[in-house]
Amino acid sequence: MMDNWIKENFDITTLLVVLSLILMGFTAVYSATYDAGASTFFHRQLFFAGIGVIIMVLTVIIPFRTLQLFSYPLYGISLIILVMVLFTGKVIAGSKSWFGIQGLGLQPSEIVKVTTILALASYLSNPRINLSKLKYLLTSFIFVLIPVSLILLQPDVGTALIYLGTLLLVLYWAGISKFALLTLLAPAASAVAALFGITAFAIVIAATLIILFLLRENRLLSAIVFSITVVVGVSVQFIFSRFEPYQQKRILTFLNPDADPLGAGYNVIQSKIAIGSGGFFGKGYLQGSQTQLNFIPAQWTDFIFCVPGEEFGFVGALIILLFFVILLYRGIKIASIVKNRYASLVAIGIVSSYAVHITINIGMSMGIMPVIGVPLPFLSYGGSNLITNITMAGLLLNMYVNRKEY
Amino acid sequence: MDENLEITKRRNTFYIGLVLLFVVFLGRLAQLQLLYQDVYGKKSEENSIRQIVRDPLRGNIYDRNGKLIVDNRPSYTVTITPAEFHTQTIPYLSDILSLDPELILERFKKGKLYNRFTPIKIKRDIDFRTLSILEENRGKLAGVDYLIETKRFYPTDARAPHLFGYTNEVSDLQLSEMPDEYRLGDVIGATGLEARYERVLRGRKGFDFITVNARGQMLGPFNEGRSDIQSREGNDLFLALDADLQAFAESLLNGKQGAIVAIDPQDGGVLALASKPDFDLSLFGSVTPHDLWSALNNDPSKPLFNRATMTRYPPGSTFKMVLATSALQEGVINTSWSINCKGAFQFGNKVFKDLHVHGPTNIVEAIQRSCNVFFYQLMLKNGFERWTRYGKELGFGSPTGIDLFEENSGLLPSGEFFDRIYGEGKWTEGYLISLAIGQGEVGVSPLQMACHVATFSNNGIYYTPRVVQKILEKETGASHSLPIQARKLNISPHTLSIIRDGMYRCVNVLGGTGSAAKIQGVTVAGKTGTAQNPHGKDHSWFIGFAPFERPQIAICVLIENAGFGGAIAAPIAGLCMEKYLFRSLLQYKEAAPIANKENTSLKNIQ
Repeated sequence: MMDNWIKENFDITTLLVVLSLILMGFTAVYSATYDAGASTFFHRQLFFAGIGVIIMVLTVIIPFRTLQLFSYPLYGISLIILVMVLFTGKVIAGSKSWFGIQGLGLQPSEIVKVTTILALASYLSNPRINLSKLKYLLTSFIFVLIPVSLILLQPDVGTALIYLGTLLLVLYWAGISKFALLTLLAPAASAVAALFGITAFAIVIAATLIILFLLRENRLLSAIVFSITVVVGVSVQFIFSRFEPYQQKRILTFLNPDADPLGAGYNVIQSKIAIGSGGFFGKGYLQGSQTQLNFIPAQWTDFIFCVPGEEFGFVGALIILLFFVILLYRGIKIASIVKNRYASLVAIGIVSSYAVHITINIGMSMGIMPVIGVPLPFLSYGGSNLITNITMAGLLLNMYVNRKEY
Repeated sequence: MDENLEITKRRNTFYIGLVLLFVVFLGRLAQLQLLYQDVYGKKSEENSIRQIVRDPLRGNIYDRNGKLIVDNRPSYTVTITPAEFHTQTIPYLSDILSLDPELILERFKKGKLYNRFTPIKIKRDIDFRTLSILEENRGKLAGVDYLIETKRFYPTDARAPHLFGYTNEVSDLQLSEMPDEYRLGDVIGATGLEARYERVLRGRKGFDFITVNARGQMLGPFNEGRSDIQSREGNDLFLALDADLQAFAESLLNGKQGAIVAIDPQDGGVLALASKPDFDLSLFGSVTPHDLWSALNNDPSKPLFNRATMTRYPPGSTFKMVLATSALQEGVINTSWSINCKGAFQFGNKVFKDLHVHGPTNIVEAIQRSCNVFFYQLMLKNGFERWTRYGKELGFGSPTGIDLFEENSGLLPSGEFFDRIYGEGKWTEGYLISLAIGQGEVGVSPLQMACHVATFSNNGIYYTPRVVQKILEKETGASHSLPIQARKLNISPHTLSIIRDGMYRCVNVLGGTGSAAKIQGVTVAGKTGTAQNPHGKDHSWFIGFAPFERPQIAICVLIENAGFGGAIAAPIAGLCMEKYLFRSLLQYKEAAPIANKENTSLKNIQ
């Protein structure tokens, strides 16, 4: 009886997957820092997880209507914090995105991820909103562009990319037209292609032209979209030249990591060695020479995936991948079954945020994505990030509990 | 219902995306961990073998008497290992090392990001007292250690910074040119002999391979040390230099700007090559401290500049023998040709002066008393082309070929040269008159002058000057003498004997300008020079050799802005020759300055 009640009200699968991922994170962080600082990192991560779980319980209990009521205020408050960090924050790794509170770093841009998703969902859930109208599309963009521009001032390109990726996925879920999606994607694709060279750029331009032709939209609009795509691609080199040198280097090194094996390409090369040398069963816990000898700088944050990759091998990495896939699958499922549009959009926003993080982070560790400083949900060391991700999991569970409410 | 269908459609798109993502990641994972596991496994194994580079000792340098003049001494470099180091100890450590705590923190953070187990150098060349304080406090300073490196040490009083040269960290450009020979942070000869004989002196690096465990602890030699490569010491240089003479010459130049070059006229060996102002090589270490270098580089007296080989000054009257040789050898005049010197020479509407009224003068007397009027007239009689030809024959206008990179070719004007700078037909014979007495466009280095005077002393053989006589190969113990390069000049013994006669009289006969160069017990011959220059007082020159009958030393002394050659440069040359020939000073026992290594304006800039 009780059993059924739990089954009815709780998404046990998601809960168990999230808890398992947190536990895997503990083991990975412990291994990555298994020398002088191990206990400090490990205990802090335990502490953060504890706080996260408390917040998660609260987010499960809170009625989502109340949450929707508070979406805009929360968004506003979090933006104010983001502005404050620009003036008073600490600089860590060239980026002024931290608050120092009693020796523990707090990174507001992580927390803003949740409030932005809530605010965006709240806006898009309004039945008046018609995404085929430019006005509404632009407004939904502004919700994301405000925190993004504040984050770029810090500057933190990785986090900014996460926001934009998440936004596109949420807009798709909210029912954006194919033409509008193309309008958003084509310039982005052309920008990336321009970095790869003239051939890639030409292919993107040709593809855009063909799709525009097939969509048979208004000719003037099509022409504008096409021109924007071309202009973006051409000006990308110019913007690229204005980037911080370390960002330039990361992008160029992604295109050819072997060109700079001791500089920026070092991380990727060492990360691939760590994962590759793990083999089928791995080298055993705390036995990974790459991990234990610190060949990968700051491995406990962005390159945490190498730890299970090296020490637990293909089996360990596959288990983590499967857990992430189950988490995302459950998230999409929840988003598709909840009756309330706001709840659905929050759920898909959370799924998208997880998905973009996972794709960039694991892809980067395996050398098929650029080196962008993005943490891996639940596994990377870092309080703000861990708490944020657990909170988001709590929201997913909340949406599941209330899935039948309109 | 329509809404539901729409949601289902979009949900399926997300599912497809998720499956695609999983497939791509799974494929990549399989590629890395299953397909290429052996490749990456090997790379990871290589990572857990530490390679420790053993730098070889650079070769020593000895003087002509086998005296050790440049060798190596241990130098202690303090390191911190980030994994073991505690930042709380920074104030204490910075106190001991008198080092900025910010700098220690910065290096620590940088090293921590790179590899926490690799020691980072924080201070080079600490003194023994600091070392012992560190040793005593080892317990309190976890992660602080020191490395024994070597630095050059100069045991004698001979400073010779321009000659010995210094080493420095290899530059990016050099690394890109010689990627197989050097690595980042290696030391390479930058100037002087250190640069010229870099390949001889540097030796070969050795490598120790150490296995480290999962925690970075060293377990012991890899492959029981069988894979290690022994380092090989650099080979030694044996110089023609006389360290005592070098030190003495340097002491004579203290407080002056100038140079002294002494060579062995029988083989071209460089006995001394001193340039002042100079700098103290022992402050340099194997890697030059940046602020010391920039202080020297910005010093208006240019202490880094080798005045013995790099200057291009007018030689003044020391250059008169070029014209004399040309005129005698080409039969333009003989010893009976004479002029009547009235103290000045008018050419066109210009008057060229002489210092004295010399009266009737032939070529020997003209050299003895340095009569300008004689050479003014002789130049017009002899002609430009011959003068240039003999100047070239006597080694001017081109580098001597000494075994140092720092050398200037000087400037020997010719008709083509004047055509180029003044325009064809736009210069007259009047331009030549100053050249006759070593003024005007002609520019020489003291080294060129020393080689020049040596050819008169040894009856017409021009030896390429050389600093290094032989190289001792450390591995085999074999020594290789470097070849002596000689060129027989196209000048007859008769011509040379007339010139030598003039030089003899210059020092030894009443009325000669060089009498201050005289030494007891040995006959000296020479020629003075007082060169006008636009930058203040005249440059004081003297060139000469001794003993007159069987010359063992040829010398050139240049003192910038000091006045008469006969009054300033000549006695210094005399002292040097006496010191070399007798190994002590007979006539100037009391007045002679003492060689003193401490006499430097730049002390202990760190």
